Amino acid sequence: MSSRPFRSDVNFVVRIGGEAGDGVISCGELFAQAAARTEYHVFTYITYPSEIRGGFSMVQIRIRDWTIYSMGSRVDYLVVFNQESYDKTISGLREGGMVIYDPDTVTPEPSETTRFFAVPLTKLARESGISGPGKNVIALGALGHLFDIDPVVLKKLIRDRFRHKGDAVVERNIKAVETGYEAGKACGWGQRFRLKADPDAKASYMMLSGNEAVALGAIAAGCRFVAGYPITPATPIFETLCRLMPKVGGKAVQMEDEIASISAIVGAAFAGEKVLTPTSGPGLQLMGEQINLASMLELPVVIVNVQRGGPSTGLPTKTEQSDLKFAIYGTAGESPRVVLAPSTVEDCFYQTIRAFNIAEIFQVPVVVLTDQSIGYRKATVRIPDFERFHFMPFHDLIEDNPVIPNPAHIDVVSRLEPTSEELADYKRFRITDSGISPISRPGTPGGQYLATGLEHTEKGHPDYTPENHQAMTSKRFRKIEVLSNLLEKNPREYYGSPEARIGIIGWGSTEGAIREARYLAEQEGVLVRHLHPKIVLPMADRRIRYFLAELKHVIVVEENYTGQFAHFIRARFGIRPIEVHKCQGLPITPREILAAILNVARISDEQSITRL
Amino acid sequence: MSRASQDYKSAVKPIWCPGCGNYGAMKALTQAFLDLDIAPESIALVSGIGCSGRMSHFFNTYSLHGTHGRAVPTALGVKAARPDLTVLAVGGDGDGLSIGGGHISHAARKNTDITYLLLDNRIYGLTKGQASPTTDFGHKTKTSPFGVDELPMDALPAFIVYDATFVARSSTVHVAELTELLKAAILHKGFSILHILTPCVTYPVFDARTLKAALQPLPEDHDRKDKMAAIVRGYSTSPVFTGIFFRTEKPTLEERLERQAQPFAPERSGDELDMLRKVLYDFS
Ligand SMILES: Cc1ncc(C[n+]2csc(CCOP(=O)(O)OP(=O)(O)O)c2C)c(N)n1
Repeated sequence: MSSRPFRSDVNFVVRIGGEAGDGVISCGELFAQAAARTEYHVFTYITYPSEIRGGFSMVQIRIRDWTIYSMGSRVDYLVVFNQESYDKTISGLREGGMVIYDPDTVTPEPSETTRFFAVPLTKLARESGISGPGKNVIALGALGHLFDIDPVVLKKLIRDRFRHKGDAVVERNIKAVETGYEAGKACGWGQRFRLKADPDAKASYMMLSGNEAVALGAIAAGCRFVAGYPITPATPIFETLCRLMPKVGGKAVQMEDEIASISAIVGAAFAGEKVLTPTSGPGLQLMGEQINLASMLELPVVIVNVQRGGPSTGLPTKTEQSDLKFAIYGTAGESPRVVLAPSTVEDCFYQTIRAFNIAEIFQVPVVVLTDQSIGYRKATVRIPDFERFHFMPFHDLIEDNPVIPNPAHIDVVSRLEPTSEELADYKRFRITDSGISPISRPGTPGGQYLATGLEHTEKGHPDYTPENHQAMTSKRFRKIEVLSNLLEKNPREYYGSPEARIGIIGWGSTEGAIREARYLAEQEGVLVRHLHPKIVLPMADRRIRYFLAELKHVIVVEENYTGQFAHFIRARFGIRPIEVHKCQGLPITPREILAAILNVARISDEQSITRL
Repeated sequence: MSRASQDYKSAVKPIWCPGCGNYGAMKALTQAFLDLDIAPESIALVSGIGCSGRMSHFFNTYSLHGTHGRAVPTALGVKAARPDLTVLAVGGDGDGLSIGGGHISHAARKNTDITYLLLDNRIYGLTKGQASPTTDFGHKTKTSPFGVDELPMDALPAFIVYDATFVARSSTVHVAELTELLKAAILHKGFSILHILTPCVTYPVFDARTLKAALQPLPEDHDRKDKMAAIVRGYSTSPVFTGIFFRTEKPTLEERLERQAQPFAPERSGDELDMLRKVLYDFS
C-alpha cells in the first residue's frame, strides 16, 4: 500500500465570525496577510451575507508549512464576535479546540473538550474610544499575540491598509492593535506558534484571491480590453481590471448590462484586441446570444463566470457549481465553445492564460467557470518566473504544444493573421483541415470582410445552401476536434495509484478537498484515483477512458443538486457514477468526501465478500 | 490616391425590395465615404438585424452584422479598442428603439465617437410587416389587426434628452441632404445619431410622396446649441424638420480612456515582461 505521509507540524485553521459590519472579513484578511509574510502557506475562505449590513459573516484562515489544498474540515481556533456566529460555527470546532469570544455579546456553552478565552472586544473598544468597528483590530492584536506575530509586522499592515484614510485613523487603529495584543497577553493562553516574518516571502509569493488571479492571468495573457457589469461574486475581477488596465495600456469600460458588455467585447475582438468580460450565472444567461455570435464570427472572446448559488437571484454570495450545463449546452443551434474550470487560486492565473490562448488559436468563445469559494478565497501563489514567459504569434500548430501554461512554461499566443498572398483573394472563413482560418485586423488593406451571424461562405457572404451549412458547421466544430486531440497529448490530469479500484472525478474548486480526502483515505488503506479535468469541454476522451478503464466504482463529486457533471460524464462515457452532491452554498470539505469514499469502499468490500 | 464609389462596394448583392428607401441610404453613405476620402479598410460598419441591418453586407469595409438590437454597444467596443477606425452602427426602428433601445442612452452618455444611422421605416420589415415602436396610431398590421393602439415613439427628441452630442434627421428621399448630414455626423467627435426616415415599399406606413411633402429643413436661424428649441422642433409633425437639431462637444469615451492610461505611459516604456512584473509584484 502506498500511503502518502500526511503530516505537518504547522497546520491549523482559524475561523472568525461575526455580524457583517463588524469588520470580521478585514480582520481575517489582515491576519492572513500577516501569516502570508511568514514562511508558511495561507488559504482563506470567506462567506458573507448578500445584504450590506447585518447577517452572518465569516472568514476562515488555514495556515500550514506546505501547500494547502483546501479550507480544511475542522476548526482549531474560533474567534466569535457575537452569539449568532458562535451558535452557527461551534459545531465545526475540533476536540481540544480554542474559542476566543467577546463576553459582552457571547455566552458560550460550557464544554470539557474546549478551551475558552474571553477577550472583551466591545468593552476595550469603548474604553479606548475607538468605537464599534475597532473591535476587529483589537481581535487582530489578540490573535497576533496568540500566534506570536511581531507587533511591528501588524502595525505595518495597519499602516498600509489605512494610510489612505489619514493619520488619525492609522493612529487609532495602531492603538487598537496594541490594546488587543495586551489583552491577548493577559489571557495567559501560552503562545502556540511563532509566525515569524520571512523577508523572502514577499519576493516570491503573492497573496491573491481567485478573482484577482483571473484578472492577473488576463493581463499576463495580453488582454487589453474589458467590458463588464457588476455582479456578485464576479465583481472583484472587474474592479481589479478597471484599476489595472490603464497601467498596462489597456481599457476597461463599465457597460449598462451584460448584453452590452459582451457586445462590446465582441466588437473589440473584431477590432483585434484580446478581450474579456467577467460575470456570474444570471449574466452568462443574458450573454447567450452574443456567445453564439462570437462562435459564428469565429472571434476569440473570454467570458469568466464566477458561479454563485441557486437559480434566479438565489444565493448571490454563496458558492455552487451549477452553471456547468448552461455553459456547455446553453446555446441556440450548435455553436462550438470551450469551457475551462480552474481548480485552485494559482490555477485561476494559469487557466485564464490558457483560456486566452485557446480563444486566440481556435477563434472560439471560451467560458472560464470558477465559483464564489475560489473567487473570494485567498491563497499564497508563487510569483511566476518571468524567464519562462514566451510571447509567440500563432505557431504552426501546436502539433506538440498543447498550450497549457504552467509555472514552468508560460506561452502566450496570439491569433493567426493572413499573409499578403492570402490577402490577394482573402477568404476570412477559408475551410482548412484544422478549421482555423487567418483573421485580419481592421485597418489592413485587402483584409476587409463581412462577419455575419448568418450562415456564410468562406468569404463571409450569406449562404443557406444545405452543403454550405454542413461544411461550415463542420469547419467550426473541426477546431474543437483539433483541440480535443491536442488535449490527449497533455500531461495526465489524474492522481493516485494505478492499483486503485475506486475513482473519484471532480471539477473546478473542489480539487483540493478531493485531494486531501484521497490522502486521508489512503491513510485508512483505501486507494483512490482522482481525475480533475481542467478543460471540461471538450474533454480528452481517450485519456478519460484510460482513467476509467480499471475502476470498479466511480464517484463524481460536485456542489450542485442535480449532478451536472455526472450527467455529462454519463452521457459521454456511458458509465454510471456514484454521485455525491453538496448543495448548501458552502464548499465541500475533505471529510465529507472521505466519508463518501469510505462508504463506497465498504460497499465494494461487501460485494467482494459476497462474490467469494 | 483617388477612390471610386466602386471601392466601397462589396460583392454581396442587396436583398432589399426594388424601390426600398435603404438604397438611398447606401448611396448617400458611399458618397460620404468618397467625399471624406476614408480608406475602406479603416471603416468598421456594424449593423443589427432587420432589412436595414443588412447594410453592412453591401460595403467593402470591415463589416459586422451582429445580433438584433446590439449594433451600438458592439460598435462602441470596436471604437473603444481602435479609436483610429471610422466606426458606424446601422439599424432599424425596431432594432434601435425596441429591442436595443436601452443601449442608446448609455452610448450617448459615454459619448463614444461613433455614428449611428437609425433607418426608420415605421415597420418591422424583415419579419414582414409587424408594428414597430414608430408605427402610426391606428395603422393595421399583422400584430395590430385592429389598428395600433399605442402612440408612436418620438425618437429624435429622446435622443436630444439623452444628451447625444449630435442629433440630426434626414431621409432617404433626399439623398444629397442625407449625404451632407452623414459627412457632418462622421466628422463629429462624439456620439452622432442620424434619424433617417425611409419608406418601406412592401409594408408601407408612409410613401415617398407623403414623406417628401411632410419634410422641411430646419429654419436657417435654428440654434444648434439650443436644446429646448431642438426638442420642440423635434416633436413637430407638420412639418417634419430635417437637418442638425443639436450639436455640442464633450470629451469622448475614447479620449477619456486614453487620458486614464496616459499617466502610466512612462511605466509602460519598458518591455512587456517588465510591466507585468511590476503589476504582479504589487500583490506580493
Ligand atoms: C433576439 C431576436 N428577436 C427577434 C428577431 C426577429 N427579427 C428579425 S428582424 C426584426 C425586426 C426588424 O425591424 P426593424 O429594426 O424595424 O428593421 P427593418 O427590417 O424594418 O429595416 C425582428 C423582430 C431576431 N432576429 N432576434
